[in-house]
Order: sequence, then structure tokens, then C-alpha cells
Amino acid sequence: MRRVPRGGRRFPAVAATLLALLLAGCAGQSRLVDTTGPAGLPPKVELTATPFHPQSDQQCGPAALATVLGAAGRDVLPASLSQEIFLPGRQGTLQPEIVAAIRARGLLPYELEGDLTTLFAEVAAGRPVLVLQRQGFGPWPAWHYAVVVGYDATRDVVTLRSGTRERLQLRAAVFDATWARADRWAIVALAPGTLPARTDLTRYLRAAAGLEATRQYDEARAAYAAAVAQWPYEPLPRLGGANVEAALGHWREAEHGYAEVLRLAPGLAAAINNRAEALSRLGCRTLALRVLDDGAARLAPDEPLRVALSRTLAAIEASPALPAGSEPALCAQLQVR
Amino acid sequence: MSFRKGLVYALCLAVLNLGSPMMAHAELVGTMQALEASTRTQDLATVSAALARDQVREQMTALGVDPAAVEARVARLTDTELRTLAERMDQMPAGGDALAVIGIVFVVLIILEVVGVIDIFKKT
Repeated sequence: MRRVPRGGRRFPAVAATLLALLLAGCAGQSRLVDTTGPAGLPPKVELTATPFHPQSDQQCGPAALATVLGAAGRDVLPASLSQEIFLPGRQGTLQPEIVAAIRARGLLPYELEGDLTTLFAEVAAGRPVLVLQRQGFGPWPAWHYAVVVGYDATRDVVTLRSGTRERLQLRAAVFDATWARADRWAIVALAPGTLPARTDLTRYLRAAAGLEATRQYDEARAAYAAAVAQWPYEPLPRLGGANVEAALGHWREAEHGYAEVLRLAPGLAAAINNRAEALSRLGCRTLALRVLDDGAARLAPDEPLRVALSRTLAAIEASPALPAGSEPALCAQLQVR
Repeated sequence: MSFRKGLVYALCLAVLNLGSPMMAHAELVGTMQALEASTRTQDLATVSAALARDQVREQMTALGVDPAAVEARVARLTDTELRTLAERMDQMPAGGDALAVIGIVFVVLIILEVVGVIDIFKKT
């Protein structure tokens, strides 16, 4: 069945123009879909297998989240997610709790760069995208979560699971205007080890670091490994990998990782600090102090981690020194590079 | 005052000391922190994560979250998320209901019609 985009048959042009004016007026210039098809992507995609959970009152957050989780292989009902993410006093759901709920299921919550092409690239890669929209106007804003499951550049429409509508089709300009007013917030649930269709190092690492910070080390390790493969010359993905090993008490592997990071970025304070700590844990106090000493000269003048480094130095200096020559044999192999 | 107050102070100190292990090991810099440092997004003046955690816990309870669920919800947030929530939980967008877009279109059409900007509702 073919659905007519909202706006009706009778005055489609007038309605669309007015709506675009109304919404875009608040949002500045909105980017429209290139009608010849988004760059390098198929002209139309619809992820018909995406589950549909019609929302009940105020429960668009849990419904949208259940939709993307289900598509990522984590079947869960909106009612049970409500306990995790619904905030009764705000009659809705806040973005950080959606991020946390995705992460709590061992998935990487990747927040997309806010533009239609990036959004469509994810859909084309087979992943439905959870979006925040701001509807309403003036003093009556209405924030709404929905899931983009398709687009059709030939007809300039976006298809969503939204509220109680399984297949809401909106003109791309209309969708984009409501999305723009919510800062074009969009998120996908990635299986750890999978990269998004259009990668952004900082965004990706932020999500991976969230897995690490919440002690999901296997997932974090897989996420960092994928980043190392994608960005072999970037130090931070390797730092993440080494931090996972350190958190698990694998000091030997961690030290090796930090040394690699420092070869790429000799002045990276976090790696200097953590390598020294790893060496100290391995019993190589002398080498640890040399790493700190060596690193101190390479720090940026406005390095925010200076405090952490001086604390580490103090802690290692306070640890008992072994008589010369009696440190573990391993220490001789771990030269300052 | 003396003895009882002294005891209270001593106990307070003892409790505070529990947080810092005797054998001081330095702290590792987590990837999140390294990332914030490298992008200079770290706001040095922000509240500590522990304080933010307490604030979020209180606000969630005040906003009607089942007390049994609060702890689990707080536990899975990162320090950055906790700080964001602690500062802005009452103003952040809370996605709840869909507003019928079609409704807005007609409201606007009617306003424009009444004002006389357009004339699409034929009076026949």
C-alpha cells in the first residue's frame, strides 16, 4: 500500500512549503535530500524487518529503544524498558539514559553526526536509527523519539516507526526540520567490533570509552580493536585497548600497549602516566620513574592531566626502591623507547 | 562536648580514610578522561563524579523513579553523563509524546487564511 506523505493530496505543495517555512524558520536553513540519491548510497532503502512497538502514553522512548534493540538482536519489550529509562516527573525519557540502556546490553551506543547523509548511510548499512525530534511550536514544544527505518530519495521521503504508526512517511524536509530542532540527535546500537557506516574517531571512542567506564571489558576490547584497525596511526584507540588490559590486571599486555601508543604520540600524558603505573606494578620502579621524567619534558604547556602525572610520580617515588640490580629481569627488556 | 565530639571527628576521619588505600597506587587515566583531555572538553570546574552521582540519585527519586530502580539506573551512567544529568536533568529534552504534525499544518493554514495571507479554503 502506498501512503501519501502527510500534507495530503489536495494542497501538497502549499502545505509542505508552509510547514517547511514554519519549522525551518526556527531551525535555520535545513538540508534537503539530494533527489538524485544520497552520495554513494542506494536511492531507496527500507528495513522492513525492523520490529514495531506501538507506543503507549508518553512511552515513545521505551518504544523507540525497544525497536533498535530488537533490530540489534536484543529482544525486549517497551514495558520493561520503561523501568529503566522513563522519568515520570518529566513525562518522558532523557538522552543519556537511552545511551546507557543500549550500553548496558553490551552494544556500542554510537551518536551520529547530525546530517541526513550520515543517517541514511546507517539505514543503508542495515541499522535503524533512533532519533529525537522536536515538534510543536512556540511555548508548546513536544519532544519525540522515533526510529528511522527507511528513505526514498526518488520521492524525497523518510520512513519512521513513530508513536503508534508503523510506517510514518514524512517529507525529508519536514523530518529534517523537526530533527534539526532537536540538534539532529541520532543514535545507533552497534555490535562491538562493528564500525558505523561513516566513522568519526572522537564520537566512536567516546562510545567505546563508555563501555570501558562501565566495566564491560570484552565489549570495550572488541570496540577498540576495530578502531585500531580503522585508524592504525591514531594513539587513542590503542590507549583504550591497553586500558582494558590494565583494568583486567594484565599489566604486561597493558605496558606493551602503552609503549606502542607512546611511539605514535610521545607526549600523550595519559599514556605516559599509565605506562609508568604499569611498569610500577610490574616491579620496574626505576624504569617507571624514567618514563615519567622523559615524558614530563614532552607535555603540552596547558596539559590538563599534569596533576594526574604528578600524583603518579609521588606515588611511585613513595614506593620502596629495590636494591640496584634486583628488579625483575623483565625490566631490562622494557627499555624506554 | 569534648569526648563525644572528639569521637565523632575521629570516626569521620576514619571513614574518610577508607577511600584512600594505605599502599598508594597511582590512578590510571581512563580512556574517557584521556579523550576529554585531548579534545580539551574537560571542564575543570565541574563537580566531582561522586557528587554528581548523589545529585542524580536524589533528582531521579524526586522525579518519581521507583527507589528500587534508582541505584541500577545511576550505576550504569558514565561520569560525563552523570555530570550532564546533575546539571540539566530538569531542562533536558524529555522525549515523550508525538504531536500530530498534520494538526500544526492546519492551525497554520487557518491562521494564514484568517489573516488573509492565503486564500485556499474556498467559500462556495
